[in-house]
Parts: sequence; structure tokens; C-alpha cells
Amino acid sequence: MLSSLLFLLLNAVITCVAASTGYHERLFLRPLPQGSLLASFNFVSNETQEAFEQQNFRYFPRSFGQILQHAHARELHLRFSVGRWDAEDWGERPWNGAREGGTGVELWAWVEADNEDEAFARWLTLTNALSGLFCASMNFIDATKTIRPVMAFAPEGPHGNVANLHLLHGTLPHEVVCTENLTPFLKLLPCKGKAGISSLLDGHKLFDASFQTMAIDVRPVCDGAGTDCSVEMEQTVDMVLNVARSKRPQNNPIPRPLPIDQLECDTSKPYNSGDSCYPLKKSTEPSWTLEEVFGRPLKGACPLTEETGDAAHTACIQTEPERTVNANTTGEYTEMKVGSDTIRCYKLPTGSDFDLVLPEQQLTTGLVRPSPPLFAARSINGHGQERGSTQSIIRNPSTTNTVEFVYLESLPWFMKPYLHTLRARLDTTSASPIKETYYRPAIDRKRGTHLELLMTIPPNSTLTLTYDFEKAILRYTEYPPDANRGFDAAPAVIRVLSPNTGDRKGMYIRTTSLLLPLPTPDFSMPYNVIILTSTVMALGFGNIFNLLVRRFVGADEVPVGAGGLKGLVMGKVGRLRALVGM
Amino acid sequence: MPLDTEHKLLIFAAAAAVRLVLPAVFPTFPDLLTGRVEVSTPVTSFKRLQEGVFLYTHNVSPYDGGVYHQAPLLLPLFSLLPDPSTYPLATNILYTVVDLLSANAIGQIADSGQNVATRLFTSSRKHLTWSSIAIATGYLFNPFTVATCLARSTSALSNLFILTAMAKAAHGASTTFILALAFAAYLSMHPILLFPPLLVLLYDTRATKTQSKPNVWTFAIAHTLGLAVAIGALLSASAFITGSWDFLAATYGVRLLLPDLTPNVGLWWYFFIEMFDSFREFFLGVFWLHAASYVPGLTIRLHKQPLFVACTLTGVFAIFTPYPSIADAALYLSLVPLFRHLFPLMRYSFLASAAILYASVLGPAFYHLWIYAGSGNANFFYAITLVWSLGLSIILGDSMYAALRDELDVERPELQGKEVRRI
Amino acid sequence: MALLSSILALRRHPALIKLPPYLSAFCIVVGIAWLLILPLNEYSRRTYVSENALLPGQVHTYFTGSEHDVFRAYRHEVHALIDRPVEERSKALESIFLEQNLKVSTQKYNYTVSNTTIASENVYAILQGPRADATEALVLIGAWKNMDDEVNNSGVALVLTLARYFKRWSLWSKDIIFLISADSTIGPQAWVDAYHNEHNEEEVESLKIKSGALQGAVAIDYPAGPWGHRYDKLHIVYDGVNGQLPNLDLFNTAVAIADGQMGIQCVIQRMFNHDDTYKERLMTMLRGMISQGLGHATGPHSSFIPYHVDAITLSTVGDGWHDEMTLGRTVESLFRSLNNLLEHLHQSFFFYLLLQSKRFVSIGTYLPSAMLIAVNFSITALALWVKSGKPAEGEEKIASTNPEPSKPATDDKSNSTSPATDTKSPPATEIVKLGDAVTIVPQSSTTTLERPLLLPALLVLTSHAIGLVPLYYFNTHPSTHLRALHLTAANASSILPFVFAWTGYYAPDTPIPTQTFTLIQCFSLLGLGLGLAALATLNFSLSIIIGVLSAPLSFVRRTESNALNILQLGLLAVLNPVMVAQWSSHYLGADLAEVLRLAAVGWRVWGLWTQVVVWVVWFPAWVVGGTIVAGGMF
Repeated sequence: MLSSLLFLLLNAVITCVAASTGYHERLFLRPLPQGSLLASFNFVSNETQEAFEQQNFRYFPRSFGQILQHAHARELHLRFSVGRWDAEDWGERPWNGAREGGTGVELWAWVEADNEDEAFARWLTLTNALSGLFCASMNFIDATKTIRPVMAFAPEGPHGNVANLHLLHGTLPHEVVCTENLTPFLKLLPCKGKAGISSLLDGHKLFDASFQTMAIDVRPVCDGAGTDCSVEMEQTVDMVLNVARSKRPQNNPIPRPLPIDQLECDTSKPYNSGDSCYPLKKSTEPSWTLEEVFGRPLKGACPLTEETGDAAHTACIQTEPERTVNANTTGEYTEMKVGSDTIRCYKLPTGSDFDLVLPEQQLTTGLVRPSPPLFAARSINGHGQERGSTQSIIRNPSTTNTVEFVYLESLPWFMKPYLHTLRARLDTTSASPIKETYYRPAIDRKRGTHLELLMTIPPNSTLTLTYDFEKAILRYTEYPPDANRGFDAAPAVIRVLSPNTGDRKGMYIRTTSLLLPLPTPDFSMPYNVIILTSTVMALGFGNIFNLLVRRFVGADEVPVGAGGLKGLVMGKVGRLRALVGM
Repeated sequence: MPLDTEHKLLIFAAAAAVRLVLPAVFPTFPDLLTGRVEVSTPVTSFKRLQEGVFLYTHNVSPYDGGVYHQAPLLLPLFSLLPDPSTYPLATNILYTVVDLLSANAIGQIADSGQNVATRLFTSSRKHLTWSSIAIATGYLFNPFTVATCLARSTSALSNLFILTAMAKAAHGASTTFILALAFAAYLSMHPILLFPPLLVLLYDTRATKTQSKPNVWTFAIAHTLGLAVAIGALLSASAFITGSWDFLAATYGVRLLLPDLTPNVGLWWYFFIEMFDSFREFFLGVFWLHAASYVPGLTIRLHKQPLFVACTLTGVFAIFTPYPSIADAALYLSLVPLFRHLFPLMRYSFLASAAILYASVLGPAFYHLWIYAGSGNANFFYAITLVWSLGLSIILGDSMYAALRDELDVERPELQGKEVRRI
Repeated sequence: MALLSSILALRRHPALIKLPPYLSAFCIVVGIAWLLILPLNEYSRRTYVSENALLPGQVHTYFTGSEHDVFRAYRHEVHALIDRPVEERSKALESIFLEQNLKVSTQKYNYTVSNTTIASENVYAILQGPRADATEALVLIGAWKNMDDEVNNSGVALVLTLARYFKRWSLWSKDIIFLISADSTIGPQAWVDAYHNEHNEEEVESLKIKSGALQGAVAIDYPAGPWGHRYDKLHIVYDGVNGQLPNLDLFNTAVAIADGQMGIQCVIQRMFNHDDTYKERLMTMLRGMISQGLGHATGPHSSFIPYHVDAITLSTVGDGWHDEMTLGRTVESLFRSLNNLLEHLHQSFFFYLLLQSKRFVSIGTYLPSAMLIAVNFSITALALWVKSGKPAEGEEKIASTNPEPSKPATDDKSNSTSPATDTKSPPATEIVKLGDAVTIVPQSSTTTLERPLLLPALLVLTSHAIGLVPLYYFNTHPSTHLRALHLTAANASSILPFVFAWTGYYAPDTPIPTQTFTLIQCFSLLGLGLGLAALATLNFSLSIIIGVLSAPLSFVRRTESNALNILQLGLLAVLNPVMVAQWSSHYLGADLAEVLRLAAVGWRVWGLWTQVVVWVVWFPAWVVGGTIVAGGMF
């Protein structure tokens, strides 16, 4: 509980500093159970509205700013994600999931336009430009992958002054996020990964993480009075590293079996001997240092960050107070302890490397990990490539409060759900949990399915949501090269409305994506099929019209020998003779 | 006669019993059939109809989506029935009644005697027929018909209207004929192609009934206008119900342009899966032209036997339309016995029936291998659809040969039983 | 046309009328001979891996060193659990998985088959691939009891050790599920049913945690005790339920890794010493066909295959010098290969007969044999139709796509150019009949016309319906009484033909004409041929086995000579499906009662449809055949 409070507090810190102009960054480390480590990087750069409109950018990356202006995007959220957050073990998501995306690429933006079509046109320019900027295939977010959510997303910034905003949302669940997306991401930072906490971001480690998400959020920020607004760009990287795995040296990453003498055996076992060893589960917290885990040193502070105040303490770690954390650097640094010592923040030295060293340690106390408001899992039932049914199981762990949430599904057009088979069952009550439904059915090759449900779950009960769907068979040109792998269906987005977080970011949970095997034709067949089908049709047609256009005469009336081919030929020859004779 | 009606009642009761008892004994059976691609196509599937009704009753336009492609007037009709998933009986009864009415209609067609003796032509074998009861029985207990009824595919309805149209035409009832045909065309578009032959049939019957034969042109124009009005009324009623004309694109547009390539027993789906994008429109045109081209040819050549032309056209629909199902085949195969007198002249009957039989057994097996076992590929099922279509088209051509041969025997009695050649 | 008329001339030839029996006999002989030549090099092929992504044996394996000590420890742990109650066992296994930071869950199941309850619990753990997004998963199975009902001590221990070892790797692109099923056939079935949510909630508990679509499954069967046992060869089991087979690529990968990389020789179908002679190959193929034909579950992998999840079981055989770590490295390498897969296995063959671990016959080569045998029935049916005469009635049914009208085809196909002549000039036998038809039909009303076809059709249908009765009883009867039930069935089924024949002759006031019996046999054979042809594509082996066993049905006829009758009846009595079950199980060294129990289990749990084929396709055909012959006795 305590820690969760502090976590909120930390968010508050960042948001409050965000309101002012300038550039801020913060690294927040949190050891997780089973030797994992959560590292969330957060970079905030502001620009006053005027400066932004006059295109004189200081911290705000010009390339990005110009794209936003050209596409009239007032607020934009871009996500690159890999892996899944293990809520059972790791508890609540960083930023309450507000800075997290579904597997692959997810993008939603509020575009200013007079009508839907213009908005969509601008959306297309936006996606194309972004795909160029981030080396991601966002240009494939076309009409079939774009939806216009109604309840699931709310703008984070105040948009009082701007009328007719259109929210568009698109996902690429199959997109593989990798280093080519990280490099442009770092390029947008003022310190470009050369100094400050961003110097820790190394492709190898980042993409070896068990869970990792990169987020870019652009939103207007105004002070209380609503005057002197500024445009804020927030870049976030959350990653969960497996300490043991990350500590392996770059040149020898293979997890070879430990030498027997380094293996900790359970000596209490009767059979324990030289040749058999029951491995002990380590009870101690593993030792690690920043350099070991991230594979490169933290190169001092980014000179653009403030010199004093909270914002200056850019590297924070949240551990049990008894855990020894040694800062190891040649330059001078200051340590600041927040929230009854569970959070320690360090002001980084400028120009010299900085490292945090945590020794292996036996801990007596542990931090309370706040559990998320909901646990959600989604899977496909049934087998065969013809039809199936989707099953989402959403559990409310809380014993006291009812949870109200919005469930958003954005399905590809070739996955055709039957809404009349939609069933939502609660294991505790028979009352239907569905309060509101928004449904926009798919149209072949034009539009995907868009389903939004407003639902409530009473305390500690489980909701099972199922619906049947049918799989369309596509034209052979519409299949990807790996047709037999199947198609990915985007993760479902769950937005928790109550209990709500104080800030405007909201609380989000995303399920994993689904693999949808479609029936495949034989790709080597086009010519054969055209030939065979045409043959059958020709047989029918020829047979019938042959009967229609010719008339019957008695066999004996036909010219002599007119039996079969020979007769035919003879007849022709005879006629020819006659002609010649004349 | 009382005996006959007794027979009829008995048979109809038995048929109804089969249709009502089977779902009661095996509750999952109807849904299983509804899921079979051979039985229900995207434009006739009952599950899609349910979806459409659900959206309709929840004020979402069913036509603003890629699932529902069936006629709008079905929506209010089925929204009146109780939910089939909870009370299936009501729906089953409806479909059973539809089948019985169709059987009744087919019986009427047989009774009219138009199949053997029309105004301009009387077969030399006209005594060689089956009673209307026998033919109705053939329809009711045709496994394909039963499957269609249990699967609650809406093609049962269009079959009913087609048969009624034929029956009315054969009995010279203009208005009912026009209405029935209008409904058939409204439900599944292609029956409109039956208008020319049936019009001829109607004209013949009218001419035979009333000695003073009406003027051809006025007759034709009057009925064409009548049909146009009827269809127009239906369409505008639908537009009134759904509140827009979107349904045109979503129903007839889909039938014309084939956006949904779900497999079926026809020839179109795999062809257009494998077709190169640049030629798709061209071949759509060609295929439709091909399907329509049979109407004038048959009507002109066989204008003496309009009923035969109409029946043959139903066969053409069962093979060459974009979304055929075994329901269409059931219709055609139940109409063929009307021409019992042609059987002695048919030549490939065993070949054709064997082909159809094997196709109907191997089809499901191969579909299972492709979709569920994953050990076969699409070509397995495709091959079977080819065999199926081939079998049907052989029956088609063979019966045509027989009909023409039959005409020849009347025109030139001296040729009866002699070998003939086509030149 | 010239060709057609020549055929016409040929058809008029009386020899043709006598031909069919010889023709169908020829079909059967060729069909069987075909099978016998398959093992030759000319007709079989060497196996090869066609999915490029698999790269079998291209990785270095590291499962050695201290892992061996861990393995020994786990082996002791497992051994200690052998005679503990199920709950305790599950708890212990769960705790081991939990120590390895895996997601663990259990699944209870409780089937009631023929009045006996089968209840136990599966334990499974999910290793979430670090780079995976929960869309795909592989399964590693260690059944607690193997097929011979021994405790799979080392196998389970190996699964535990590998779980711990795999957890350290970061390269998994798919989740890996470690399943410790309570037994080898029912546990996995319950689990895989629940995984696809196609289970019955009363019998099988739903899974609490799931992963993505299953891409492949490998089961380890290594029943060595706590002190280990060095084995000689790997026995790869690959038959699925209902005779469905895994993709050949999976099998080839396993062989390539075990044999090529680890140097363990692989054997199949319990042919433990295979010196690649013709005889050995043939034996292997036949054993494969029998187990495919029976369609029962042959290992933990079998239940996965009907869900289009390719799966195999690796079991150790013999005494040799290979140790557990070699097996572990084999599995490691195999999983590395499967981990490379970009698409679901689809490249290679799904229909094949294996002659040895590196030789196979593909469907194109072997299917004709089954088809020939199926065709022989159709030919006889055709001949019988001709014999039965009066074909015109047959044609009426064409409309409703009935099988009957074979006769018109024979002469129609041939003399297509001159249909009308038939109606007059009576040169050859059938044509007269056709002529008769045309001239007779008019006088008679439809009802009288239909009878000759309707009655046989109905009788054949009823005979098929009767098959449902034994099907029901054999699948629901208490397992203790199955033996007695079988005895009753044997007796009843042997008497049945005589009863039918007797009723056929004496019950109705006017004895049923011979022609009707001919038609009955005709339809029944037609149905049999059709059924077997369709079955050949689903389960080749079952189709050919039944085809061969019921081949005599196309030759038995009703004769007046008692000696011949008794001969025929004796032959049929031996080939009575019930009797076949008796002597075949005796010959294959299986206990009949156990076979029957397994069949019931298969019906209830695995969704086995072998019995359906036997009772609804084969048995009725046999009864009809018997009735025909018995008719001669009266």
C-alpha cells in the first residue's frame, strides 16, 4: 500500500514538473520478485504553444513537431511494445498502464478536421510520416485497421479551445519492435542517448527484456487558468529485465549449466550426494549494478536538466529501506530519500560515469506490491480454420470495490464476430454486467469490427465474455508470405473508469494478441483452377448449346459413311469435290 | 379422390414428423447443418439471418456490415418469432410448413399435366408419368430437402416461391404467379430469369383455357409491367423498413460481385480466390453472362415445352450461380421426375447419379480434411465441387437431349426409335 | 462416335456379362498385390525434411554438466511420489515447477466409461517465452504412467529438469507448456480438449491458465527407476486417434536429430531390430496399418493430432549405452528446431506409410490399392443390377440421386448413339429389359412400379439401422460384462441371417421374389463400396482392412446346392465382424475384454469412430450377405 502511494506520488512529481517548460528526465528502478527489475525511463520536453506554432523548437524535436503540425494532430499517443506484463507476479503496471501499448505498434491521435473524411486523410498522412520517422510499417494502418473509439480513450490534455477533434486509433499487432525503432526514438531526445539516463538504453539489453514498451505522448498542457499553454512531449521506456539474464556478459550470453561446485544444493535431501543435487531456490536478493544490467555505464547527467530541486534527482530506485544501495562514481552526487526511505533518488554527476551497486543481500522485510484493479486474459476456443469463439476472462481481485471499465475490441474484417452470440457471465451474480454496447460491424475489405462494452464487475468475482466468430477465406493475393502462420488479432484494451486514478492519464490494461489461423487456398494453383473450372463450364455450355443449335435427322438420311470422324471428313471432301466440279 | 387425399395427408404428416422429430431428438443437429458450407451459403445462412435480426432489433443497420446479405423483409418476419436458440420449435414449424407448401405446389405442377402435354406439343409418351403424390413425396423425402429444412436455410423460402410461381403459371393464374415470382426474385435475385419461360407457360395455359387466345404483345407487356410493379413495391417496402436503400448493395450487390468467398458447392468461390485481381471484374461479367445466356436459348428452342425450360433453368441455377447450395440442387432434382416420360431417352443417367452420389459422400470428408484435420488442402474440396457440378450438368444436358428427341418423335413419327444424328 | 459404336459392339458380346465377377476378383488381387510391392525401393522414398525453417540438428546443445545432478535429484523426488495419493503428487510437482518461476496449474478430470470411473489430475506449467506474445506454444509431455502402465519415473524427471533448463534461455519465440498428465491416453485427451474448450464441464475441469495456439507436442516415455537405465534405441510413436498422422516433417526432424546429431538409432512400430530387409519393411508397414486402422490412442501424443497439433512420443527401448542426458539433448535440439518454425507445420506429408525410420510411401502411391478394393464392390453391385433386370424403375430415382441406376448406364453409356433402337430391336439381353421397361411401365401405376426398388432400399437401410443397437450396447455396457455381451453378439449375429432369410420366405403370404434379394445385395454392396471409398481418404488402413475382410461378400450368391451354401456360410461365419474381433485380438495377442473396454473408452473419451464404421458399415453388409446365402437353405 505504502509503495503504491509513493508510486502515485512519484507520478505526481513528474507531472507537476512537467507543467513548466523545459526538459526533464527520470529513471525509476523497482526490483520485482523472481530476480526481475523494472526500469522506467521518462523524458519530458516542453515547448510553449507560441514557440511551437512558430516552429522555433528548443527541446521539442523539430522533425516530430513538423509532422504533428502538418497532420493537425493536437494530441498523439504512440506505443511500441514487446512481451507481456506478468500481473500475477509483478503487480500493478507502471503508470497504471497509461504508457503501455498492445503487442506491436499502437497509435491513436486526436486530429483536428472539419469532417470525418478530412480527418481520415490527415490520419493517413500522419501514419505515413511516422512510419518514415520510426522505421515502422505504420503506413499499413489503413481503413481496415483504423477505428474511432467512443468510450475507451479520453484526451489527456485540455482541448477547450479546439473544436471538431477526431479520435482515430490504429494497431499493428504483427509488427516486430526492434532496435531500428529504438534509434529514432533516442534521436528525438535532447541528449540523444549520449548523456543522462538515456545513455543506459542499449538495444541488446532493451530487446532482451521480458517486457518492454516505448511510448511517445504529445499533449497540450495548460496552467490552472487555462492561459499560457505549452505542448508537452513525453517519451517513456518501461522494461522488465531478468537480472540473471542481463548480467550475462555480452560475449558469452549462453546459459551454460553452472559448474557443479557453484550449484547450491539442498543438503537436507536424503539422496544428496556428489552426483545428485536438488537445486535450492535462492532466498537472497541478487546483486547487480547498473552497468552489469544495462551493459553500459550511466554517463553522468544530461546538462539540459535542472541543477537543483526534485527534478534534478533524475535516477530513482524503490527498494526496501534496509537494502544497501551504493552509488559508485568519481564525480559528486547527492542522494535524496522520499517516502520513508523506500525511494532513493540521486542527482547525477555531470561529465563522469555513475553507477548504482546493490550487493547480494538477505532481506527480512518486503515491500507491499499493489495488485492491479483487474486481471484480464483472452484466448480462442475451438479448433479448425472455419470458425471459433473468443473467450475473455476478467477478474476483479478487490474484496471491497466494484470496478467499472470499458472493453474495446478492434478485430480485422476477415474475423467476423456474431454479436447475437455475445455472452457475458459473472460467477457471482446472474445480472448482466454489460451496461452499454457500441458496435460497428466490419465490411469486407473496407472496415474492421469495432466493439466497445461498458461493464461492471462486483468485488472478487470473475467475468467471462465469449462470442462466436467466423473466419473469411481471402483472395490468394491477400495472404502474407507466411500464410500458414495465421493472422494476428489486436489485443483488447480495457480502460478502468472507477476506481479512477487522480490524473487524466487514466488506467489501462491490455490483453495479449491472438493468432487466427485462416483457411488457405493452394497458392500454386491459379492457372490450374482457371483451366479446370472453365473446362467444366465449357462442358455444360457446349453440351447444351450444341443441342440447341443443331437439328436431328435420321441416321439413314446423313450422307453415307457419316459415322464418326471418318464420315465427317468424307462428307467435307465430298462437298469440296462438288464445289470444284462446278 | 378420398384415397388420394388420404395418401397425401399420410405422406405430408410423415414428412412433417421427420422435420420436427429429428431436431427434438438431436438438438445439436440443426446447428451442425447450419454450419455446413454445402447447406448454407453467405446469402442463405440461418446464423447470419439471426445476426441480422439481432442487429435489426437493436437498431443497428444490418446492412452496414459484412455479415447479413439477405432480404430485408425477412427481418421483421423472423424478429416476430421467439429466439431460436431458446425456443427452436417455432422456427422449425415455420420451415416445415414452407416445405409442405412447396411439396403441394410441386404436386399442383404435376397435376396440371403441362409437363407432358402443352398447347403446342404433346409427348408421344404422355401416358408415362408419375402421380403428383409420388413426385411430392420425392421432394419431401429428398435428403437434400430435409437437410435444407433442418438447417433453416432461407433458400427453402425462395424454393417455395419458385415452385408456387411455376404451379400458378401452369394453372394460368396471372396475379398469384406474378406475386410469387416477384417474391422469389426479391429473395434471391436469379429467379427473375425464370420469367420468360414461365410467361410463355402462362400464355399457353391461358390460351388453352380460354379459347380466344389473348394478344401476345399486350399479354407480355402487361405481365412484365405487373412484375416490375410487384418487385418495385417489395423493394420500396424494404427501403421503408430499413430506412435506406443500402440493402440493395448489401444483398443483390453481394450476389453480383461475390465479395464473400466462403466455400460452397458451386464453381465460383475457388475460381475467384485464385483469380488475378486485374481480371476479377471481367470474369464476374463473363460468369454472369454465361449463367444468363441459357434463358433465351432454351426459351426459343424449346418454346413448346416452357415448363421443361423453367425446370432446366433451376438446374442451371444450381450449377452456375455464385452461391449455390444443395437446396438448389434439391429443387432441380425434385423437378426432374416431372419428366418421367423422358427417362427412357436419357443416356448418362448412371454416370451422373454416381457422380452426384460420390460427390455428396466425399464432399464432407474432404472438407473435414481441409479445414479440421489440416491434412488435406483446398484442392480436395474444390475437386469434389467440380465433380458435383459436372454430375448436375450431365443430367441437365442429357434431359435436354431427351426432350428434343421426344419433340422429334412427334414431328417425324417415322423416325421413332431410329438412330438419329445431329447436324 | 466410332469409338462408342465399337464399345457398343463389344458390349453386345456375351462374354461381357460373365466378366464382372472376374473383374472384381482381379481388383482385389491387384489391390493386395499393390500393397505387397510398396516396400520395394522403386515404390518407396527416403524421408526428407521439407520445411526449411526446422534446420534439424543445426544447434549446439548445452544440456549437460550439473544438469545431470539436478536430473538425478528430480528422479529421486519423482520416485518418492510413486505410491503417494494423486493430490500429494500434484502438490509436489507444482512446488517444483513453482521453484522454477513457472506458471503452474492443475486440472482434474472424471470420466465414467461403462460404469467404471476414471478420475485423476493433470499438472501443467507454462514457460512464457521472453520474446513471445502468447500467440503460439509448444508442449512437452511427461505422462505419469506410460502405455505399459509403468511409472514414467525418469521421463517426468527429465521434463522437470528441462523445464528448469529451458527457463534460463531467452531465445524462445513460443511459450513452452510442460504437461505431466496422469496417464498416457485419457489425461492428455482431457487436457487438450479443455485447452480448446471443447470439453464437457461435468467430466473435465476447465484450464485456469492458457497460452497461444499449439504448434507441436513431444512426449517423453522413459520409465527408468531412481538408479537410471541406459537404453539402446529410441522408439518413435506417431499414430494419432482415428488413424490421423502428424506431419512427416516432425517425425523426420526427430529422426534426424536423434540419429544424425545424437547417434541414437530410431525404430518404429515396435520393430526393435530392423535390418531393412523386404520382410522387415513389410512387417513395419503392416503393423503401422493395423494400429492406424484400429485408430486407438498409442501414446500421450495421440490425443493432440485430431486438433491439428502435430505430436510424437519418444520412448526408450533396449539396453545400450545412451543415457538420460542424450535424450534430454535430443529433446532440447528438437525444441530448438520447433522454436524456429515461422508457420504451422504444413509443408510435408500428412498421409504416409512408414517402412522404417527413414523410408516412407506417400498417399499417391498407396491409395489405389484401397480404391481398387472399394471399386470391386461397386462392380459387383453393377453386375447384380444388370442381373436383377427391370432397370427402368432404377432411373426414376436418379432424380433424388439414388445409387441404384447402374444398369441403364451399362448399355446407355455404350450405345449412346442409338438409344431409341433399344426400345425396339432386341439384340442383347439387357436391351430387351430396357425395352420391356418402356413398354410395361405405362400399364402399371407408379406404386406397383416403385415397389421392387422401395422394398430392397428400405431393407438395406433397416439393416444399417440395426447396426446402431450393438454400437449402443458395446459402448454403454458395464466393462465387467463386455465379454458376455460379446458372446451374445457373436451368437445373435450368427443366427441373424437365417432369421432374416426365414422371415423373408415364410412370413409374407407371397414369398419375396429372388430379384428383390439380388437388389438387396446390390444396394448393400454399393453402399459398402461407397463407404469404403470415402473412408479410404480418412483412414486408409481401416478401409483396406475392412475391404479385404469383406471381399467375399461380393462373391457369395444364393445357390441351390447345399454343399456350396454351407461352404459360403462357413466362410462368412469366420468373417463375421464379431468373430473377426475375437480371432484377430487372439492372433495379435490382446485380451478381448481389454480390447472391448478400450473401444468403449475410445468412444467416450477419444471420440473414436472405428466402431461406428464396423457396426454401421461393415456389419450390415455382412448380415445382408449372410441373408442372401442363407436364403438358399430354404
